Amino acid sequence: MIGLQNFNFRLLAGFIFSLTIQLMYGHEVKPPCESHVYKPLSPLCDLCGCSTGSGSFGFGTLGNSNFVGLRYINQNFESRDGIFINSPKSKEVFNTYQLWAQIPVNNSINITVNLPYQNLTRKRVNANTETLRGLGDASAIGWYKVNFYKKESDALTFNTERQPSGHVLQFGLGVKLPTGKFEEALADNVNPGFQVGTGSVDGVFSLGYNYGTNKFGLNTLMTYYVKGENRNDYQFGNQFSYSANFFTAISKANYNIMPFVGISGDMYNKIRQFGETIADTDGNIINTTVGSELAIEKFIFGLNYTLPLSQNIFGGNVTSKNRFSLYVNYAL
Amino acid sequence: MKFIKFTFALLSCAIITSCSTDDDNSSENLTGQTGNVVIKFDNGVGDQDFVFGTSYNKSNEESFKLNNLKYIISNIRFKDNEGNTFLYPIEKNVFIVSEDEGNNAGEILLTLEDVNAANYTEVTFGIGIDQERFSKGADGQGDFLAKAQDAGMMWSWASGYKFIRFDGAFSTNTITDEGLNLHMGSVGTSLDNYKETTLSLPNSILVRADKNPEIHIKADIMKVFDGVESVNFADGYDQVHVDAVETPIIATNVAAMFSVHHVHND
Repeated sequence: MIGLQNFNFRLLAGFIFSLTIQLMYGHEVKPPCESHVYKPLSPLCDLCGCSTGSGSFGFGTLGNSNFVGLRYINQNFESRDGIFINSPKSKEVFNTYQLWAQIPVNNSINITVNLPYQNLTRKRVNANTETLRGLGDASAIGWYKVNFYKKESDALTFNTERQPSGHVLQFGLGVKLPTGKFEEALADNVNPGFQVGTGSVDGVFSLGYNYGTNKFGLNTLMTYYVKGENRNDYQFGNQFSYSANFFTAISKANYNIMPFVGISGDMYNKIRQFGETIADTDGNIINTTVGSELAIEKFIFGLNYTLPLSQNIFGGNVTSKNRFSLYVNYAL
Repeated sequence: MKFIKFTFALLSCAIITSCSTDDDNSSENLTGQTGNVVIKFDNGVGDQDFVFGTSYNKSNEESFKLNNLKYIISNIRFKDNEGNTFLYPIEKNVFIVSEDEGNNAGEILLTLEDVNAANYTEVTFGIGIDQERFSKGADGQGDFLAKAQDAGMMWSWASGYKFIRFDGAFSTNTITDEGLNLHMGSVGTSLDNYKETTLSLPNSILVRADKNPEIHIKADIMKVFDGVESVNFADGYDQVHVDAVETPIIATNVAAMFSVHHVHND
């Protein structure tokens, strides 16, 4: 117990240190688009099905407006069904339907919430296809926004209206709840991410920097997940996710188009079960994403496609193939 | 100032989340509780899954392919984290691992029932039949004698069991597809080729009434020929039966071909 707390303190100290560095050296972030969080196999549920609420997937929209919406995410994986190089491969398709929203509290604070429904299938060679459906893990993150303003040049300006500089820092603090069911028997799979939920309460810590003008913008985000232990003495490894998206805005009379390209990644620690670390359950993946948003009046339509650039997940036993996401939001 | 406040807020939240619900199991009373353990044997050649009829290259430009692959496993026991050993009841503690009885993934499962509940960190097993079991005579073998006969894992009773049985063909750079037969065992009481191997587990297995832990053991078939000692078919190791020089070498190689790939606790 004490050891665990010390451990978390160290994590926290590291996180705050990195926050401080960010504050000193630049303006970073607020990236709406996080990439997806991967967790490793037998033990890495966060990686896959149950991680779709994570930072690398994005918590919001490019323009960072407040909204309620629906998002669909389709992810494809290939897992080795056995311990040998030539063992058969199973194919996993994870479909996630999310109700998501960004709700304003005041000028500086807003809350993003995410409620996923998971529909996961696993096709094995010479065996029945397995399907897993259900509510996933809900999450809520509170964001505190710091807007930076242009320097009041030439002392003589008495204008009290400060001009926004376009730089925004954003801090997020949230929680992921075990609303999805973790099935212990599934933890034996080569892909431990084949779960609708982690069964744990996780802490979410985010730091973002955004810069935007009328013509283009940059959203960046770093998120650290402190994973709790679930009732089955199973604990997914802590995770660090990061993303950066560059977008341009094309304004027309009745609509705006915002195409973007981005890079994102996830790093996972090893899974622990019954107090022991399990080998080959950590991972690292870097993705590239292209996509666009289309805003017509109050509606924002988005679509994006993500491909891994490099990865090593669950000791190489699991391969992320691609990810496709569609959403429609209504601006508040 | 706001940032400092925020930092404090962050800090306090982190403290709250770091208080995990750590209900310690150390006081758990396991007396009288039992559970099952599955041992999964998975035959491979290096990092490849073993497949019947596939030709595998060994040293000295020789190759082999098999159409029959069996071995006898006995006297399985586990050591727990307190140093106690649990020996599975002797009369049930003998199995034939036969590649042709593998599942889709080529894994052969042995299920051990009513294993004492504990956290085990090590497994030991024998390859073949020890002299004590053999000395119980034909009547003392229980069902296993008939099972071994049906599986072709016996010579006559007097000569005893075949501990491993590989049948197939081999090739060298001068010979193609000649018969390969390794039928290694002890020879009555005159030659004892029974060997044991002890493997530590990468993670503990928790044996409980409500759990089904599994130990996944990989057997590298190549090590039978290129193992502790490398042997050549051309030198007579294409036919290994009762030879007093050849069989102990094969027995030593077989005992060293096993490793635990991983365990599951579900």
